[in-house]
Amino acid sequence: MSETADIVIVGGGAGGLAFAWAVADPRLKVVILERGDYVDQRRAPTLDAGWELAQQTRFNANPNIRAGSADHPVDDSGSPIKPAFFNAVGGSTVRWGAHFPRFRPSDFRPRTLDGVGNDWPLDYRELEPWYDLNDRMMGVAGLSGDPGNPPRRRRPCPPLPLCPATEKLAAGFDKLGWHWWPSDAAILTTGRAGRAPCNNCGPCGLGCPRYARASADIAYAGQARAKGVDIRTGATVTGIELSPPGNRVEALSYIDRDGGLNRVACAEAVIAGNGLGTARLLLDQRKIQHTLLGRGLMLHPTAIVTGVFDEPLASYRGAFAAALVSQEFYETDTARGFKRGFQMQVLRGQGPLTTAQGGYGTALPWGKQHAAAFTRSFGRTLSLTVTCDDLPERDNRIEIDANRTDRWGMPIPKMIYRLGKNTKSMLRFGIDRATEALTAAGADKINVTELSRAAGFHLMGTARMAEDERLGVTNRDGRVHGISNLTLADSSLFASAAPVNPTPTLQAIALRAGRAMRDRLGLAGAEPS
Amino acid sequence: MSDGSLLEVLLNTLVPGDGADWPAAGSHGLAKKTREMAGLQPDGVKALDALLAMLPAGFEGQSQDEREHVLARIEGDAPEIFGAVLSATYTAYYTDPRIRDVIERLCGYENRPPQPLGYELPPFDESLLDQVKARGPIWRVVPET
Repeated sequence: MSETADIVIVGGGAGGLAFAWAVADPRLKVVILERGDYVDQRRAPTLDAGWELAQQTRFNANPNIRAGSADHPVDDSGSPIKPAFFNAVGGSTVRWGAHFPRFRPSDFRPRTLDGVGNDWPLDYRELEPWYDLNDRMMGVAGLSGDPGNPPRRRRPCPPLPLCPATEKLAAGFDKLGWHWWPSDAAILTTGRAGRAPCNNCGPCGLGCPRYARASADIAYAGQARAKGVDIRTGATVTGIELSPPGNRVEALSYIDRDGGLNRVACAEAVIAGNGLGTARLLLDQRKIQHTLLGRGLMLHPTAIVTGVFDEPLASYRGAFAAALVSQEFYETDTARGFKRGFQMQVLRGQGPLTTAQGGYGTALPWGKQHAAAFTRSFGRTLSLTVTCDDLPERDNRIEIDANRTDRWGMPIPKMIYRLGKNTKSMLRFGIDRATEALTAAGADKINVTELSRAAGFHLMGTARMAEDERLGVTNRDGRVHGISNLTLADSSLFASAAPVNPTPTLQAIALRAGRAMRDRLGLAGAEPS
Repeated sequence: MSDGSLLEVLLNTLVPGDGADWPAAGSHGLAKKTREMAGLQPDGVKALDALLAMLPAGFEGQSQDEREHVLARIEGDAPEIFGAVLSATYTAYYTDPRIRDVIERLCGYENRPPQPLGYELPPFDESLLDQVKARGPIWRVVPET
């Protein structure tokens, strides 16, 4: 099939859907090509007794283990941190904890302030109205007034509560005189049309049948479709066609769920496939020769420190990843022996099976000790992540393996990543601080996972933005240098990683880029307020 | 001894229970389910069969301590195989409704899925933040560009 559209967007995840909603207009034919399907969260696995099994199999965050019908293999043999992303309408936000922090102003200026990494061609103030708009669209619970961040508007709904375990930790932070604050979370604590408030069940990562926990499909897909956006599922993009002399995208080709090859000519092309998928597609096509494409991959190297308390705390109750954070060690202090900083984020306890299998660390002991070890751990643990800012090291990268292809004939992507010296120092320091905090909270046993192998869920920086085309693949609007009608709208654009979840920032960038495209097309649109 | 019986002994060694509240995994009839759970992992069944093949003759007649000693050696020699089998064993055990009843009775964790009931969502107690607020801003001000 061959057709023509005004705008074709590759990827219907957090960035692609936000961009589509922002650019949509009755006068435009906007098509999203999404390799995955819709996930019916009204029938989420948390409604079933086998929910922990689903978490390890068909809802596993690692595409190599999940191996679903929309997934392609990733060669992760060159990285100690394994990939974690989800292919569906809504992307990885279908399979997330909905922790929803913003970057700080300093995260946009690491080169100027600390002499490391790259400055962004944008700053916090410029993104702030887009953060605000996105907060309203997603539905964010939180509390303004955090002394760790610039003042921000009243959150759309009140914060999630602490629980007996997290109250202990908050008291521990107070004892040490350290910062803590309730997390901004893309989880409703008050209802809105079609979405019920959170009922504190815990395993948000499996989807939310109440639609309390936001994901991009719930927040954006319906509204984008109402504005005329055509979201096509089971559509795997396999080709980018440039018109001579190679400075303009002419069309995209994709394979549909029946195996048919289709071509869509377009006036504008947008790619939003995350730091791995976007780089893979552009590297495969070899149409963009930029030396930074695929390079500078940033993850969030994460240690997990778990405290075991000697009393039952029912720590499995409540959003597993969205309780509170400490940003005490967020900014650079050179006395610590590294540049930039980290965030400590609370992770609550887990279900029985996950507890036995070790949760965030190693499995509980087997044999005669097992029953006592389970009773001693279950419902009594609380963990702190040490989520490190990451520097864009050139050798950390996404490559493609032209000799190995997936079922759509696309080359397998390779993740090549090693921990830098700065990160190793930060992790060591952070583990000590998290241990200190949990001890101050009263934990009588501490377990440390020095590097979470499963934490490859934030894939950033492989097509970073910079106004100078020698220093970045795109400009500040995500427009690829040297290609007149190609925009990127995802975390591949990030010039720095910050030590926090990237989704609010990538969605703010996507909304801003969508509005910028409307402006270029001469379509009226009010500024966000 | 049949493969099923040997597997039962293996499971009883890995999860022997406590003789009171917690039953032993093998005696609890979880051999078949453990094999099914192993099948959900890449090469899980292969790992289970490999581990069974590593068990010495007479394993089933040994004491719990002797069997644990054997398995500890295998765990050291073949950690991936052992880890896959242990994972399948825990999966079979902790998804069994009768074990979930034990957990409910001993730990208070209800034997039901997280949804649709969930739990109460109380309001956030803002007074907990008094000390943090009193300290004032700690974020780094960046000069406008």
